[in-house]
Amino acid sequence: MRTAVPRILAIIVLAILFIVTIYQVDWPNGAMDDTTNEDVGQTLFGTSNDVGYGLIVLLIGLLLLVALLGGVFLAKEEKE
Amino acid sequence: MIPIEYWLVFSSLLFAIGAYGVMSKKNAIVVLMSIEIMLNAANINFVAFSSYHTTLHGVAEASGQVFALFSIAIAAAEVAVGLGIILAVYRRYQTIDVDKINILRW
Repeated sequence: MRTAVPRILAIIVLAILFIVTIYQVDWPNGAMDDTTNEDVGQTLFGTSNDVGYGLIVLLIGLLLLVALLGGVFLAKEEKE
Repeated sequence: MIPIEYWLVFSSLLFAIGAYGVMSKKNAIVVLMSIEIMLNAANINFVAFSSYHTTLHGVAEASGQVFALFSIAIAAAEVAVGLGIILAVYRRYQTIDVDKINILRW
């Protein structure tokens, strides 16, 4: 039976390291912005002056299709 | 409004929980779920820094949110392939214990 104590300690040390690092940074004053769905859509598909990420959306769709086909191929039953 | 430090601390804790799951759990599906938790921590960082950047510079853009969307899509693809691999391994070896699966060892 493996003991979990060293791993838990390592993770706690990692989390403390992250938190100390975050609080050592002198963040400029500024609260979080309210981003709307319209902003996301305009960044994603572009405005009249901007191109956006439309091509990448297409490529991500292709990647999802390939992953779907790969998942089906990996999961199907092997014929004897 | 919530300061950015809180989001970063939340994301760090989420990442640490995911890293603990990857390091300590033996079930491959639990490991996959832990990897997803770590990816979600990265997505929270994307969105938090994007909102913070928008506030600081006054430019209304949402690149971080868009990259988080891409990351979610890629995570979905990864889960599809990962679950397929786990299924194939289980059919062949009757186990998904990552300590017992050593077929990639050379």
